[in-house]
Amino acid sequence: MDMHGIVPMIRCEDVHKRFGRLEVLRGITFDVAKGEVVVMAGPSGSGKSTLLRCINHLERVNQGRIYVDGQPVGYREVKGKFVERREREVARMRASIGMVFQRFNLFPHLTALGNVIDAPIHVRKMSRRQAQEAGRAMLGKVGLGDKFDAYPAQLSGGQQQRVAIARALAMEPKVMLFDEPTSALDPELVGEVLEVMKSLAREGMTMIVVTHEMGFAREVADRAMLIDEGVIVEEGPPAQFFNNPRHERTKLFLSKIL
Amino acid sequence: MMSIPLPSLEFDPHVVWRFLFNSVILEGARTTIIVAILAQALGVVLGVASALMRMSKNPLLNIPANFYVWFFRGTPLLVQLLFWFNGVPELFGGNPDITRQLTPFRVAVFGLGVNEGAYMTEIVRAGIESVEAGQMDAAKSLGMTYGKAMRRIILPQALRVVLPPTGNEFISMLKNSSLCLVISLVELLNAARSIYVTNLKVLELLAVASIWYLVMTTVFSILQAELEARLAVGMRERPPTLFGRMTEAFGPSRARFRD
Repeated sequence: MDMHGIVPMIRCEDVHKRFGRLEVLRGITFDVAKGEVVVMAGPSGSGKSTLLRCINHLERVNQGRIYVDGQPVGYREVKGKFVERREREVARMRASIGMVFQRFNLFPHLTALGNVIDAPIHVRKMSRRQAQEAGRAMLGKVGLGDKFDAYPAQLSGGQQQRVAIARALAMEPKVMLFDEPTSALDPELVGEVLEVMKSLAREGMTMIVVTHEMGFAREVADRAMLIDEGVIVEEGPPAQFFNNPRHERTKLFLSKIL
Repeated sequence: MMSIPLPSLEFDPHVVWRFLFNSVILEGARTTIIVAILAQALGVVLGVASALMRMSKNPLLNIPANFYVWFFRGTPLLVQLLFWFNGVPELFGGNPDITRQLTPFRVAVFGLGVNEGAYMTEIVRAGIESVEAGQMDAAKSLGMTYGKAMRRIILPQALRVVLPPTGNEFISMLKNSSLCLVISLVELLNAARSIYVTNLKVLELLAVASIWYLVMTTVFSILQAELEARLAVGMRERPPTLFGRMTEAFGPSRARFRD
């Protein structure tokens, strides 16, 4: 619990992650409040994506703790000790943590609607009819009301990423993690994806967005963060982060991408 | 039939024609098809299981799977069939109950299937590895367990890669089932042989058997192409399926692949 006595939606405590001898995350600590939008930036290889993957336990942390909605991710606290949860329980936790990937990772053998309703039916055990209804509404919301039956290969990159967002939202997640959602897109398709994310932020979704879209960060982020070499170099409100960065590394980074 | 003059070979096309639809031959062909289908099915099941075991990091799973593939690919199929049919009863001291259970048909399906499973392991593994790692990430991020992600997301995609070599395997299976002659299974070749040992029309009956093998392999090749076309769902250019073209010509189009 933070000082206001409210459980943060996401809490990372001293998170370390190593791949062999390479330490990718070297002690990351931060909280994300319910409804907060946090933008993470940083050079490639700085550990941003790895951090997101740790938050839904796609990667195991080597040290430290991550909590989502007060629950330790991937682990269970038994008499002060942490025990890794069973696969089924980890899966259940992940179901309420939405994730959007750089390369969309849509299921190519399913239609747009099929992508959106598969997990609600087979994980949430929703009836097909109910899932289809909700799925159509969700695709409508991301502006793809006319693409229910299209296969991913028949869609543009921007459309695919919007299906991917709809797919994650269909699970009614508590938080959404965006891993460079627009980096694989042609420039003219970036806007349509950012629009969907902006409206999601306005609706009060708790979001962590790894991106270099600084316009988006200025407009919708509550907080911006620079991660480099596995640590948080600087964090603060976007106005301060962009206009008066305190750290040299932030200045250098911003000068390169702006 | 054509009459090609082959005096020195004493090959009589009329004999071929006479035996082509002989009931013993047809019964043998039927056995060949049934044994091949059942053995291939067993091979696919074993192949999927063993591929998943082989890809596991757990040595209790991957070592047995590696051993299975190594052993059954490394020894001749003929030896394996003779082992199951003649060797296993020996292991049980010629126990008549065991021997009675080991009918040529059962041993054929089992022996061919177990051997096939070793080859299918590699085919299925290549298929699974052809699916991008991001697919498993996406499935897991939606709350699927490994098993559910495999069944719903990975294996259906692997199928497209697995199918063509599996078709080839099945074609080989149709022909390799003739090895079951040595365990006295009356399949197509053995049926032909049983006739020529009495009438001595060796060439003609081998021709009869060959014609049926060609018919079977041709029919299954066409079915394979059809199945591949249907699985090409989600691709930009779907090759037209035979049934698709037929229904287009004769009636309302079939419902598309469902979500």
